[in-house]
Amino acid sequence: MKLDIVNLNKSFGEKEVLKDINFTFEEGKIYGLLGRNGAGKTTLFNCLNGDIECSGKFYLEDDYGKNELNYSDIGYVVSTPIVPEFLTAKEFLEFFIDINKDKITDLKDSDYYFDFIKIDKEDQNKLLKDYSHGMKNKMQMLINIISNPKVILLDEPLTSLDIVVQEDMKKLFKSIKKDHIIIFSTHILELATDLCDEIVILNNKELELIEKNNLNTKKYKDKIIKALKDEKND
Amino acid sequence: MINTLRTSFKIDMSYATNSFIYILRKLPILKDLITEDAYSSKVLKSIVRIISLIFSFGKMLAYKFLYFFILIGLANLLNERFTGYVFIHIYFVLTLLGMFINNRLISPNSKKYFSVILFGMDAKKYTISTFIYDLFITTLLNLIVLISIKGMIHISFNTIYLLLICSLLCRIIGEAFSIIFYKRYRYLFNSNTKLYMIISIIFLGICSLPYFGIFILPNMILLLLIPLLGLSILSFIYILRCRDYKIIIKETNSYNAIMNKDEVSSYNRQKMVEVRDKDKIIDNKKIVGKHGYDLFNTIFFERHREILLRSALRFSIGIIGVYIVLSIMYYMGQGNFIHSFLLNNMGWFVLILYFVNRGSIITQAMFYNSDHAMLRYNFYREESVILGLFKRRLGTVVKVNLIPGILIAVGNVVLLFITGGADIITYISMFIFIISLCIFFSVHYLVLYYLLQPYNKDLMIKSGTYSFITLLTYFVSYYASDIKVSTLLFSIFGIVFCIIYIIVGLLLVKKYAPRTFRIR
Repeated sequence: MKLDIVNLNKSFGEKEVLKDINFTFEEGKIYGLLGRNGAGKTTLFNCLNGDIECSGKFYLEDDYGKNELNYSDIGYVVSTPIVPEFLTAKEFLEFFIDINKDKITDLKDSDYYFDFIKIDKEDQNKLLKDYSHGMKNKMQMLINIISNPKVILLDEPLTSLDIVVQEDMKKLFKSIKKDHIIIFSTHILELATDLCDEIVILNNKELELIEKNNLNTKKYKDKIIKALKDEKND
Repeated sequence: MINTLRTSFKIDMSYATNSFIYILRKLPILKDLITEDAYSSKVLKSIVRIISLIFSFGKMLAYKFLYFFILIGLANLLNERFTGYVFIHIYFVLTLLGMFINNRLISPNSKKYFSVILFGMDAKKYTISTFIYDLFITTLLNLIVLISIKGMIHISFNTIYLLLICSLLCRIIGEAFSIIFYKRYRYLFNSNTKLYMIISIIFLGICSLPYFGIFILPNMILLLLIPLLGLSILSFIYILRCRDYKIIIKETNSYNAIMNKDEVSSYNRQKMVEVRDKDKIIDNKKIVGKHGYDLFNTIFFERHREILLRSALRFSIGIIGVYIVLSIMYYMGQGNFIHSFLLNNMGWFVLILYFVNRGSIITQAMFYNSDHAMLRYNFYREESVILGLFKRRLGTVVKVNLIPGILIAVGNVVLLFITGGADIITYISMFIFIISLCIFFSVHYLVLYYLLQPYNKDLMIKSGTYSFITLLTYFVSYYASDIKVSTLLFSIFGIVFCIIYIIVGLLLVKKYAPRTFRIR
């Protein structure tokens, strides 16, 4: 399975953020998306997820052919988690399962999922309004994992989680990458090189794959930073 | 479709029930009795579900009654002899206006985002089933209220049915129009303020035609029903066939969904108190020779000229306009009405000054643009600093509120004089009452702010007591307008109340503010 981005352009007024991007992401890999502040990483995700208008096409290609990317193919975990605050975590999950029971493969009950994401019994009946940022993030992640989309976009997903959960999440991403295209945006270089199979940088409004070749981690990091520092003069 | 509606209804009920428990848990006494386990207690939730169902239906019904009472009031005002016909005219014209501005089918709303995007419900089934349900409930509420007020406006059952059918058809046409408009222009018709204002002014103009003896009669509405029926059938088919609900919900909600209701209102509050660019430059003359907290206070108020001084001046221009209109009315022979109003309806001025005073917004600006940062420093939390700044702030707030206040006080005295006059005590008491009311509102909001400090850094109100008292302030001001006693009596009681309140408020601030004025 492949995700093709074809001729993607996006401007905000006069300011051009993404310029004629053509790129292919492949199944079975976790892509680390790096870029400096304001480079347009979230804009790229918003374009892919159809949240903002942009010019360009997105295609998903698998064994059955090539089709335009459908919103239901994407799971988007945003850095500021969006959850219905006046539902308890249990209600939220149960409603979600109830609504999507026909679409979810290998459906389990809510206890199984809470156990999986490590949310205690006493927290399950708390309002999501009273959840910490990290806990909301866990719930958001859980919903996206259960719905099993083909493409998973993760915008700074681990920064608000404690280190134990971070490790669990990393394991989880590695375990599901086989059947998914995972694009992971972060500012933490160590996290990107540790977790991701490929590093893609968004610099000068374009996407660029940073090949690891046979470099050791130190030299690879230097190469990434050098690429990020490199600013073209328009 | 039925299943979708049922699930959506269940989610709504859970939301409403949890919100209700959440509010109960914020109240004194109850917060100790109801623990967090309440959210998982089936028995308690069933009880609360019934209460909240009754409550939400009651609220909708109350709003409908309020809306229709306003219509009757307007009808009476426009033409006393034919209230029934005028009511029908206004109802019909506002129904037509609603086609453009009261579209709910694709309007942004976080509930739609959660249901369709987050829970993954079928967008079309969700939109259409909730729309039909909404049509049913709206028609039912209209029916209940129209039957209840039937006697007051002397309309027949046939007319009621005519109006109900008319609303139903117009709503369907309006919703289809909103989708077509959105698909063409990629924005909602009613989100364009300019279009909203133009269309509202046109229709409100048509609404006021009965003042000149021109009505749209029931028979004419009956005739119009034929094209409306045809158009609504086409519209309904369009709504049923439309396939773009998911993308529309996604596009219209992606920004809103990030914010819940509280966040939207706190975001609006933040925008309102933002320092405007033109206020960033301060005239040097205003600050020369000032030091310490005096300078601090002056800079603060100078940087907020837009929401304080200019806004008070805008109100003042409006007030002068109203007094000019009233003077014209006097020359047109309405002098007796104005004279009698001024002598018996002082309560109205409580409501007017409630709206005119800038107390609430000033405290928001104080917190957002100054105190939430400054209160983190210990030197700012010293008793002498808190009380010293309170005094300076109170002085400035009173000055700002007195600009429209003095205009109203003088306007009333002059108007009373030219429309027939009164004894000297009435003049004086009326004047002092308005001035003390101005000072009262200034003190009221500042005292509440210093005693309860209700905001968090995002300007969300976190104090239930503060919300309760501000709501109570509104209701008292609202009901005061209904009190019909002589101006002399009302003013004297008012003055005494204001003086006592101001003294008690200031004493409370002196005693408690150094402890209560803190970041939450």
